Amino acid sequence: MEILIILLSFSLAALTAITVRNKRIIELSSLIASFVGLVTSVLIAVKVSSAGGSYASFQFFFVDGLSAIVMLIVAFVGFGATVYSIAYLRQETAKNIIGLSNVSKITSRIREYFILLNLFMVSIFLAIVANSPILAWIFIEATTLSTAFLISFYNKPSAMEAAWKYLIVNSVGILLAFLGTLLYFTSFHTGMENGIITWQMLTNNATLLNPMIVKIAFVFILIGYGTKVGFAPMHTWKPDAYSKAPAPIGALFSGALMPAAFMLILKFKIITDSVAGTSFSQTLFIIFGLLSILIAATIIFVARNYKRVLAYSSIENAGIMALGFGFGGLGIFAAILHMIYHSLIKSALFFLSGNILLKYSSAKISNVKGAISVIPITAILFFTGFFIITGAPPFGIFFTKIVIFSAIVKTNLWVAAVGVALTIILFVGFFKHITSMVFGEKPADIKNGEDSVWLILPPLVFMALALYLSFNLPPFLNNLINYVVLHY
Amino acid sequence: MLYLQLLLQIVFLTAVFLHITKKNFGAVLAYSIQSLMIVLLLLNSFLETQNTSLLWIMFIVLVVKVILAPLFFIKLIRKNELIFSAATYLNTPLTLVVLAVLTAMAHSYKFAPLTGIIPVNTGLLSLAFSTMLLSLFLIINRKSALSQIIGILSLENSIVAFAIFAGLEQSFALQMGILFDISIWLIIATSFMAMVYRHFGSLDATLMKKLTD
Repeated sequence: MEILIILLSFSLAALTAITVRNKRIIELSSLIASFVGLVTSVLIAVKVSSAGGSYASFQFFFVDGLSAIVMLIVAFVGFGATVYSIAYLRQETAKNIIGLSNVSKITSRIREYFILLNLFMVSIFLAIVANSPILAWIFIEATTLSTAFLISFYNKPSAMEAAWKYLIVNSVGILLAFLGTLLYFTSFHTGMENGIITWQMLTNNATLLNPMIVKIAFVFILIGYGTKVGFAPMHTWKPDAYSKAPAPIGALFSGALMPAAFMLILKFKIITDSVAGTSFSQTLFIIFGLLSILIAATIIFVARNYKRVLAYSSIENAGIMALGFGFGGLGIFAAILHMIYHSLIKSALFFLSGNILLKYSSAKISNVKGAISVIPITAILFFTGFFIITGAPPFGIFFTKIVIFSAIVKTNLWVAAVGVALTIILFVGFFKHITSMVFGEKPADIKNGEDSVWLILPPLVFMALALYLSFNLPPFLNNLINYVVLHY
Repeated sequence: MLYLQLLLQIVFLTAVFLHITKKNFGAVLAYSIQSLMIVLLLLNSFLETQNTSLLWIMFIVLVVKVILAPLFFIKLIRKNELIFSAATYLNTPLTLVVLAVLTAMAHSYKFAPLTGIIPVNTGLLSLAFSTMLLSLFLIINRKSALSQIIGILSLENSIVAFAIFAGLEQSFALQMGILFDISIWLIIATSFMAMVYRHFGSLDATLMKKLTD
């Protein structure tokens, strides 16, 4: 029932944006929908925790410990992104950044934004709770379709190019994931009359699968959904899309879409491990993980756009999570926590990057100087966020990185050494960019002062929440993470 | 079986043709024929199983992939006078060499577990898998946005053909969901192509060089 409430609220918000022309009503309905989504997701997570790790609703929905955690992440990021979007789009409209002179055209563009935002939320929630791998695939594909137009929101050639790249790369990836998914069904010799094959049926039938087919299928899954996660070398769309999409959409990509796609890979991983042994998926996770960190660490130095820097940081963090999940045990515990912290902090950083863009009207690092004197709160939060995301103590990501690399050291010293060295390189690259933005002489034509308190609150709350969760995990969340460690 | 083999061979040959054709109209026509072969494969499945839901799926595939999608593309080509679309990264002889290598690879023992899912269909599954690899290469090798879109649709067709011969067809509801997704994707991809043309004055993907910062 709770799941239906979430889906219904976002669908109604999308419908309101389609049918109503009043901007305030559209904003309010989206806000209510995301708030309902947040509260209901917390209720579901508590329910899953107290029910021992799983919760089924109707024939098509199933939430286990991992889905509940991802649902919580998506709901928080979704709510934050909606609150921030309202304030952000108002500022963009006031400063004529959207690029349209006609008021009715701007209103219609904002309506489109909220329609697509709510459709994205419906799709992603459905992908997380879908009881069938094919249904999950259908809804992940739907997220591609709903977000492509959000990337091209500003209707500029560069945004169009980023959206096109996103559409092509992700469509190929998602088709490969489809093929991989189908190959897991070879244990059923289905035929059409057999109805929907669920995750549980797939797990129960795993012993009937041919290990070689499962290995090939998992490679397709890892490449397919790995494209959505942004693993190198399938990451190419990510810096472009993140840098050209509106800031809240970047937050949704990094904070919500990435964990959802990762969740699907992990669901297939447990089936693969039971058929082909853990070493196969572990090797692939190490390869993709290290490659992602390597690419991010080397390219971040030459990045000239601060949103692209955030994108490379996301690629690095995806790599670290892959290493954690690959090595198992404590590594999984740390990887899940890393996923939570990363989503909160990276979303906050994207929101803050939006504030910088609004003030400086440029996403180029070289055009942003002296942010500490122009927008001091944003600059301090951005600087703090940088320290958190790169793993500086005493924040949660510091501990998760330590635990992940400690887990790796026990079995593979070289992987741990290379991983640590690359994260240090990435820290230096990121630090170089951020200091040049925060400090220095501000441009003469930039006025001092934050644009709106509503542009500060969402990132501030997210960072406070990440800090709180670094030292205190609520019992229900702890139960859910323990469930994931035991089952994945 | 021979009849099925012929249908699949046509699917494969259309993928080869997509690589060598110099005209957009030719590419669209080849895609339409390829989709028609998929419809006939679905018709064969219906005749074998007598499952009426297959008829619905067949009808939708016919309308969306054989008729509507090509019509969308032809309209776009006519509107923007995009007759030629020959630009590739590799020249034709080299392209043909790669196609031969990919086809041989799909038939090699490395992929035997994949193509041997249904042992009596090994040859057919190898051919369907070859078509997948050829379609993937089409997306990479062609510079035109239209060819990239047709490459993705051809990849989807070849996965459907593979699923049919591997006995991995999904339930009616799921197939409808997949088809719905593909239809929406087609509409979005077509409108994106129109927008790309508006912004860049061409559908040549190599002219998109605005993402330098």
